[in-house]
Amino acid sequence: MDYLIIGMSAAGLSCMDTLLRVSPDSRITVVSGEKFPPYCRCLLTYCLSGKLREEQMIIRDPSSLPPNVRLIAGNDVVGLETSGRKALLSSGEEIRYDRLLIATGAHAVKPGYADEQKRAFTLRGIDDARKMAPFVKGKAAVLGGGFVGIKTALGLLERRVKVTMIISSAYPLSMVLDAGTGRFVERDLKELGLQILTEEDITGLDMKDDAVRLSLKSGRELEADAAVIGKGVAPRVSLAKKAGIRIDLGITVNEYLETSSEGIYAAGDCCEAIDIARKRPWINAVWPVAVEQGYFAALNMAGIPSVYPGSIGVNSLKTPLFHLISGGILKETEGVTIFEDYVPSTNQMRKLAVRENVPVGMAFYNSPEDAGVVINLIKKGAPLAVHPEKIVKREASVMDVLKPL
Amino acid sequence: MKVVVVKPERCVGCLQCRFACSVAHSATLSPFSAPFEDILSKPRIHIGLTAGKEPFPNKCRHCDPAPCEMSCITKAIYREAASGTVLINPERCINCGMCAMACPFGVIRYHVFIDNKTSAHKCDQCIARQRQGKIPACVEVCKVGALLFEDYNANMDRKTDEMASLVYLGIRGQEHGQGPYPSLISYKRLLKELKGR
Repeated sequence: MDYLIIGMSAAGLSCMDTLLRVSPDSRITVVSGEKFPPYCRCLLTYCLSGKLREEQMIIRDPSSLPPNVRLIAGNDVVGLETSGRKALLSSGEEIRYDRLLIATGAHAVKPGYADEQKRAFTLRGIDDARKMAPFVKGKAAVLGGGFVGIKTALGLLERRVKVTMIISSAYPLSMVLDAGTGRFVERDLKELGLQILTEEDITGLDMKDDAVRLSLKSGRELEADAAVIGKGVAPRVSLAKKAGIRIDLGITVNEYLETSSEGIYAAGDCCEAIDIARKRPWINAVWPVAVEQGYFAALNMAGIPSVYPGSIGVNSLKTPLFHLISGGILKETEGVTIFEDYVPSTNQMRKLAVRENVPVGMAFYNSPEDAGVVINLIKKGAPLAVHPEKIVKREASVMDVLKPL
Repeated sequence: MKVVVVKPERCVGCLQCRFACSVAHSATLSPFSAPFEDILSKPRIHIGLTAGKEPFPNKCRHCDPAPCEMSCITKAIYREAASGTVLINPERCINCGMCAMACPFGVIRYHVFIDNKTSAHKCDQCIARQRQGKIPACVEVCKVGALLFEDYNANMDRKTDEMASLVYLGIRGQEHGQGPYPSLISYKRLLKELKGR
């Protein structure tokens, strides 16, 4: 069997590793647009802070790959011929395949004012970090209050850069957290030394001598060495679109992660698979989800039918002051009750959102021990065996929670 | 593949396994000096209480596929090919907290390891002891047989055999007219007798 994997990041690598395990004598071709060896882009903010060197971000040594894997780096797939099962590379080479995985990932959203000439950068690939690093010296502005925005801000802070965060919503992490938890994060981020402006947005950028001048919605003006934009990501689907594969926001897949075209699978940030908490197709663009999807896609590609159970948005944010783990959607909407417990002496908070006795979201603040257990419960999508109040108050142990499953 | 099998119904909550685990992962490997080391070695097995106030030993199951391995962004968590044990490389770990988020059993903790560097911390199935031909420290000290070091399948086979023997003894007892349902204790006694022959 000939396998072709487009993209060599989380989903692509995980798919390759799984294929090597389940069908070791097949031929695998991996095409990647990046020339740099496979690295983890989640580590970019650590690289920016100076904690890690560039080569420490590499997660797979290309020279250690087995002989039946062929890696084509620095080449893009420009066209797919779905009926003839062929892919055309930018170098002009044509590759035949039996099963194809599209793991093209996503690119950072660039708002209209984003302009690298005016020192407004996005942070997605290693090139972005290289381009940005020399400009940031004393002051920086970070736009967007998501996980990437906060991690970038904290990374810059570690380099003793004065960072101002500009957040368009009322509190950070507003996509996944409720107001109460968001305020907690905001308070502790401020204590770490970040300046946070909420309900603000950039209206214009101007270069002035050696600094960029940001004009804000409220009329304020801000000067910085550079502005980093963390306004989320958008799936890279142009290749699939050209090949006539069905697309919604990302690539539409069935429960086996197969696209509308037979023999072509999708995984990672470009794939719109089912979200358990939302109960509809959704893109959860995080590393662990991409790896999981790559694993399931590989099993299905190798002819082992495995239903992908679905994902939830999860993330972990660790700073010197707090460790936040969030999963699913923690929002007070109709039919959702939020149970919470706060211990002021240890600054611990545990929140669990429950809809009709089924957990849909959680946020654990400074309490990482059994966060995974609760996230797994959300992933199972099954009714709780113990009262949610007991879970947030630590009165239920792993055994009570897992016994009925 | 041999793993540490936990029998929660036998655990009495003496916490000896926790102490043995800390000592086995300390620098000096001695119960007398381990508590006085600069960086205290922390246990990797956790005894929690269930709602019925019964002890429940909780440790890494070395799952396959392992969710922590999948979520590790630096590939610090890896599976040792020979034994199938999931291990953490503290040098690569950047303490991001992703593995605690992924672990469905809640067994990952974060402790200072070397050079004041914090890293993820979990059961390594005493890989260093195993290389010397010893069994994991927690299994060695468990007095009540709540922790066993054996193959999962062998463990289940034995359990099935025992059950089958009990059923057989029950049927035989009935034929000999020893009452329809003699107590389980007398069955077990019979089973022991049979094994002794």
